[in-house]
Amino acid sequence: MIQINGLIKQYGFNPVLRGVNLHVAPGAFVTLVGPNGAGKSTLMRIVATLLKPTAGEVKIGGWLMPQYSDRVRQHIGLVSHQTLLYGDLTAAENLLFFAKLYQLDNSEDRVLAALKRVGLAARERDAVRTFSRGMMQRLTLARATLHEPDVLLLDEPYTGLDQDASALLDDLLRRESENGRTILMITHDLVHGLTLCDRVAILSRGKIVQEIANGEVSGTEFLDIYAEQTGRKAGMANTAHG
Amino acid sequence: MGKLTTATQSKSAPLLNNQFIAAVWSIVWKDLQIEKHTRQTVSLMVMFSLVTVVMFNFALETELDAARNVATGLLWATILLAGTLGLNRSLAIERENQNIDAILIAPIDRRAIYLAKVISVTIFTLLLEVVLVFVFIVFFDKPFWQPMVLLVLFLGTIGYVGAGVLITSMTMQTRAKEVLLPILLMPLVLPLILPAATAVGEMMNVVPEFSIIRSMVSLVAAYDLAILATGLFTYHLIVES
Repeated sequence: MIQINGLIKQYGFNPVLRGVNLHVAPGAFVTLVGPNGAGKSTLMRIVATLLKPTAGEVKIGGWLMPQYSDRVRQHIGLVSHQTLLYGDLTAAENLLFFAKLYQLDNSEDRVLAALKRVGLAARERDAVRTFSRGMMQRLTLARATLHEPDVLLLDEPYTGLDQDASALLDDLLRRESENGRTILMITHDLVHGLTLCDRVAILSRGKIVQEIANGEVSGTEFLDIYAEQTGRKAGMANTAHG
Repeated sequence: MGKLTTATQSKSAPLLNNQFIAAVWSIVWKDLQIEKHTRQTVSLMVMFSLVTVVMFNFALETELDAARNVATGLLWATILLAGTLGLNRSLAIERENQNIDAILIAPIDRRAIYLAKVISVTIFTLLLEVVLVFVFIVFFDKPFWQPMVLLVLFLGTIGYVGAGVLITSMTMQTRAKEVLLPILLMPLVLPLILPAATAVGEMMNVVPEFSIIRSMVSLVAAYDLAILATGLFTYHLIVES
């Protein structure tokens, strides 16, 4: 579904991505981890069609980007650490805006169904700026999946969430994965990222240095591999990986 | 949404198709809804304009004739300054929570975003001008209600906002965006404001010279067409760079 071959991104003379290769099969859930400055967000912005690569190839569903970004856009949804929501609009108005933007049929029914799915139907008429961080992130997921995209891109979705909100997001993401959506997530939160995914890829200094299938190694072994590949500790006591 | 498949269709599409119009309307609808809830943009512009006009009125109190002579220039200066507030507010809405990214990953023509922002800010600026025309009639006792004056205000606003949205989009990712906007915008709209102010000034005369008005209005209309065409053809380069 997502094919990245020899991807290079430079800002001036500063290389951020130095030949990234990554393949994500249809319906797979891949988590990308790496230290700060590894190029994770840059990679995500390129896959989300928000940034053009300097060189290399990115394809989603066989469509080459940026040449066919217009085609790809209707099939991707993005959840970022920024909510991408309008604080002065209500929850329903935010979703209605995106339903209109994607020109979806039965937009009002879809909005209501999406709000129910993420447990926010009772707050549909409240301004988003009155929501807690966890509620905003659930609404963000509803926005990103409103047009039923084949590919869901998650950029640090656990940022600022407490334990309960993270667990709720886990449930929602698990459901999205079970529904057959292809998911690519970048995160610092290895516990949640590794629990949910089929495969984890480590990005270090602009390159994918290792890919590991879920269950292939134990949590402790993964931390050792991560530290070895990136030269840094993962910053967590344990993981649920494996 | 259907499953992704490799296809070979052309990706180009005509400008004014139903999808394009729907995309423009959805963004305008969103901006109007936000204004309906907050009432921040228009009220901010109106308050700023009223303070400016009252201050000038006090400064020129003893020179009523002088005040009347500069009324046309003052009207345009007030619109330009208040307009930058509207443009900055329009930018702030899209910058808050990085909302612009959500619009940019939607499968819509980039030109629709530009046109929608021009329409939204033009609506807000026209609402300001309704108030300003009334205030200027009261303060300066000049016939600002004339249809030709309103036409020039309308055309001038389109050109000004068209240039403003373009500059706003360019400065969006810069640190000094609020300061850069007027610095870059004012010289760019000079070829628009000079004929617009000249046309309105001529209409204030007891016996206006219509050939001057006609040529000035033509210049304003030509500027509008040029800036809108530039915006429509370059906006995707600006937001994707």
